Amino acid sequence: MSSPSLTLPSPATARNRRLLETLGALAIAGTYIYLVLNQPADITGGPGSASALIALSGFLVGAVLLIVGVLPTLPVSTLVLIPVALVLNIVLGQFVGSTLVPFYLDAIGTVLIAVLAGPAAGAATGALSSIVWSFFNPTVLPFAAGAALIGFLAGVAARHGLFRRFYLAPVAGFLAGIIGGVVSAPVAAFVFGGTSGLATGAIVSAFRSMGDTLLAAITKQALISDPMDKAIVFTLVAVLVYALPRRTRLQFPFVRRHRVLAGTAISQPTGESTGKSAGQDA
Amino acid sequence: MRLHPMTSLAAAGSTAVITTAAASWPLSLTVIAAAAGLSVAGGVARRMLPAVAVILAPLVLSLLAMHGLFFPEGTTVLVRWGPARVTVEGLHFALERAAQLSAAVLVLLLCSFTISVPDLVAALSARGVHARFAFVLASTLTLLPAISSRLGRIRQAQEARGLVIRPGIVGRAGAFRWQAVPLVLSLVEEAGTRAAALQARGFGSAGQHTSYRAVQDSPIQRWVRLVLVLAAVAAIAARLWQPTAGAS
Repeated sequence: MSSPSLTLPSPATARNRRLLETLGALAIAGTYIYLVLNQPADITGGPGSASALIALSGFLVGAVLLIVGVLPTLPVSTLVLIPVALVLNIVLGQFVGSTLVPFYLDAIGTVLIAVLAGPAAGAATGALSSIVWSFFNPTVLPFAAGAALIGFLAGVAARHGLFRRFYLAPVAGFLAGIIGGVVSAPVAAFVFGGTSGLATGAIVSAFRSMGDTLLAAITKQALISDPMDKAIVFTLVAVLVYALPRRTRLQFPFVRRHRVLAGTAISQPTGESTGKSAGQDA
Repeated sequence: MRLHPMTSLAAAGSTAVITTAAASWPLSLTVIAAAAGLSVAGGVARRMLPAVAVILAPLVLSLLAMHGLFFPEGTTVLVRWGPARVTVEGLHFALERAAQLSAAVLVLLLCSFTISVPDLVAALSARGVHARFAFVLASTLTLLPAISSRLGRIRQAQEARGLVIRPGIVGRAGAFRWQAVPLVLSLVEEAGTRAAALQARGFGSAGQHTSYRAVQDSPIQRWVRLVLVLAAVAAIAARLWQPTAGAS
């Protein structure tokens, strides 16, 4: 019997990680479906904390499972980029979040990582971003699942070439924003009883004054803010990525393998093989 | 003796969970008062105050404006201005949520302001799986303060090259590219260098990692942590068992 490899993950660990990722995604999806189907009537009627706890624990457990599943598989070159992404998220998000604009712009770093390193890295970065940011601002912690979803969707969009044409990036952002906003709305409704910003709060109030339930009003607000916000974020990331030197862009195996960006087509097989080995050094 | 970082994390987390689960006015206010008192006693109140104000002021104002003025479910109307109605139920809901959220935010912020980051990183990596998470956490927390000074330097350099930041949203958006691109570029470049250095030191290998820094732990603290986590789980279970207990 050969001794276990010190550098390559065994098939059993790979299977366990895949299981963790699936469980994490299922926890997030299950929590959302439960909250929407069950539409707890107690949001505005009682303490409402049962649904807040379900939203919090379901989404958080899902996000943590995703991190535990994805983080060990990332190559070191991607891992060292995650703090950079987190810093960009926090600096820009904290700045925009406190202004009177109904946007957040708190996902630039997450989307950047997703475009450069793929959906799994994007999802892990989104979830990690919320968890690390909560050291300064605990109110972002419950949105970990939504942030992970945006990272994942951005990675999927990049993989299918939506960042190759400049005008497709905002379209992809708009669609990702619709999905992300709808998933994040129950968190805002059940945990916060509203939104955490003044401008977004004004939009919710407008819908409430028309007699909507809290969840409906917040979902509509999310459908106004999030797609626009993510369209802006995806466009900004496209600007940033194309402004990076070619050498830096091509450093990432995901960009090379899936021809994520226009003008990064590499036909020689050497680039392909180094990409694979770099992707497996976790 | 210093608190083990995991003990303060467990204490803050379970207090936040229990306050949310209990959803009771007196408990939320007690927790707020206790957190305020502890922050003064610990000497972090002065540093914590701006962070608390930045987070809680928009949150509480937004809740009060949203539910205080528009609460279709409310029946006891106090004042009415056109479509806006101030109702007792709306104000009650807004204040209750505000107290509950403030308690959780204060406790968690108190924890992050008193915890020692190197100790937390060492404690996390001592548990094996979390070496990568500990790296991300420590790296972000040390990068953040450096970023704002670097942004300032980039702006100065671009202004020296003739960049004029005009007022208004278009002017700012135009200036954004000239500041963001050098920032992101230098950060990505540095990350590449760091990756090579880390890889050379065996960071990516799957074997056992050891830590240079040892964090003191005691059996009592281990027990306290266990009790705190169990209490939080019990609070969640109790709330799910009786979703409307304590409703007013």
